[in-house]
Amino acid sequence: MRPIPRSLLGILLVIVALLAVFPQFVERYYVQLATKIIVMAIFAMSLDLLVGYTRLVSLGHAAFFGLAGYALAVLQRDLGLVSLWTTLPLTLVVCALAALLVGALAIRTSGIYFIMVTLAIAQMLYYFANDTKALGGSDGMFLATKPTAELFGVAIFDLKNRTTFYYFALAALVASFLVARMVLASLFGRAIDAVRCNEPRARALGFTTWHYKLAMFTIAGTVAGLAGYVGAAQDGIVNPAFLSWHQSGQALVIVILGGMGTLYGPVAGAFVLIVLEDVAAGITEHWLLFIGVFVIAVVLLLPRGIASLPLGDFAGRLFGRGARKRAAAEPGDD
Amino acid sequence: MTEPLLETRGLSKQFGGLAAVNDVSVAFEAGRVHAVIGPNGAGKTTFLNLLSGEMRPTSGAVLFKGSAITGLTPDRIARLGIGRSFQRTNVFTELTCFENCWIAAQSRLPTSLRFFRPAGRRGDLAAAARDSLEQCGLIDRQDRIAAALSHGERRQLEIAMILATQPELLLFDEPLAGMGYRESQDVIALLRRIAQSHTLVLIEHDMDAVFSIADRVTVLVNGTVLETGPVAAIQSSPAVQAAYLGAEEQP
Ligand SMILES: Nc1ncnc2c1ncn2[C@@H]1O[C@H](COP(=O)(O)OP(=O)(O)O)[C@@H](O)[C@H]1O
Ligand SMILES: [Mg+2]
Repeated sequence: MRPIPRSLLGILLVIVALLAVFPQFVERYYVQLATKIIVMAIFAMSLDLLVGYTRLVSLGHAAFFGLAGYALAVLQRDLGLVSLWTTLPLTLVVCALAALLVGALAIRTSGIYFIMVTLAIAQMLYYFANDTKALGGSDGMFLATKPTAELFGVAIFDLKNRTTFYYFALAALVASFLVARMVLASLFGRAIDAVRCNEPRARALGFTTWHYKLAMFTIAGTVAGLAGYVGAAQDGIVNPAFLSWHQSGQALVIVILGGMGTLYGPVAGAFVLIVLEDVAAGITEHWLLFIGVFVIAVVLLLPRGIASLPLGDFAGRLFGRGARKRAAAEPGDD
Repeated sequence: MTEPLLETRGLSKQFGGLAAVNDVSVAFEAGRVHAVIGPNGAGKTTFLNLLSGEMRPTSGAVLFKGSAITGLTPDRIARLGIGRSFQRTNVFTELTCFENCWIAAQSRLPTSLRFFRPAGRRGDLAAAARDSLEQCGLIDRQDRIAAALSHGERRQLEIAMILATQPELLLFDEPLAGMGYRESQDVIALLRRIAQSHTLVLIEHDMDAVFSIADRVTVLVNGTVLETGPVAAIQSSPAVQAAYLGAEEQP
């Protein structure tokens, strides 16, 4: 993994600090919009682990996003579990196991076939949810309550409060980011580098490459599950749209828009795309067209996404660090 | 004769109707340099692919230290202590020389499914990487991206990577291909040094190099072994002269 330049880490800290105080200064609507952005940011970041870091282009990543939502709903309705402390870990375990299973099938293929297999599996889940009465069919399932967070019988925070929920989502984003960074900086992360750069060479050196691809698929699916859990809890409902290829595709657009293989790029991408959607939808009913033009423009003008904007340079000057030198030492495109 | 480190028995590989490797039985003795020569299309690369697990044989067996490794995947075979280079240079082009060798050294760990501790703290792997770069004369290039190396340097990097995996047996597929005279001399010297402590299987087109490095030679023609023997015997073999060496001398 190419380490995030220190100067950029500075910027990230500033951004997190801004995000932390932001609800104090805006209307409720924007707190909810920001929460929605954070959910999408976590989801896109998890996809970046596959697309950007492992070169596994999945078009079915929403399978785990939606599965988490349904898992939460089913745990609440059928097992009467309402606590965050039980439903969150259980949901993540369900998503991890599902990702392990789906991954075991999907990583036998590569390239376009991998895209097809992941898409097909997600579509199967979509139609299963859509056609299963017990899961609410096309209407989906309502969540009777937000997850509760009690410690020794005392509520330590209340997710029914929108601002509190926003902080909860923000904590999930920061945690996802830190876990992703840890994993990418570990020995496993180096093996993933090898797989991404040249899988046949990695195998000939002695790496059992499918182990690493499957592990990454599982991690990405689990983080997507976290996003789905937060998303479903926020909306108070989960429906087949959570599982749709549209949802998978949007995450892929965000990853490409933001910059693959950066983690923070998809976060920026989620922010830009959703804010733009919000603004454009308020101006014109042809907003989808507008978004399309914007995405094309970014991809053409910034092939490596928003993350390739010289933000690091700027921060370097701001913080007086050697970001420019570092950027100059980076190799260009082939 | 010592017990062979690696041995093939009736090894064959069929591509449709073409027998690229046909009933090849060769023994590679420990501590020796064994060259495999033959005209283009003779099946040398295919033979090496069968040894390293890149391809599965149609029939026959490969034995390493007396036990069958036929049909094992390349990663399993590499972990047994068999490293290989490719005819087309095969390195991690986006990474630096140091990172290339670092990852190669990492491949020797029982598993890399280790998620928590930062890899940067593995001083042992860094040392192994530097050591192999040093041996191949690339230490002053350690921070250079592999894509920015000259062709010859990239080939040397691939050798450094293999050394970083600490193999017992090294399989080289035309390590001198496309190199200038100076670089060739460097690599020949490097191969000689490696040969002092390793067993080598060497596919090579450059006959002078082969005859100066190798102990034994196998001549492959149309997938079949024409002859195997010590260098001197091969050099003077009329059959080999006729089938291969003579043809090679006319440009
Ligand atoms: N993957 C493959 N599929 C079909 N034919 C192949 C394949 N690889 C090699 N061959 C054929 O096998 C023969 C031997 O090739 P190769 O082993 O590359 O020869 P050498 O390395 O001695 O030049 C050639 O005729 C080649 O065209
Ligand atoms: Mg060849």
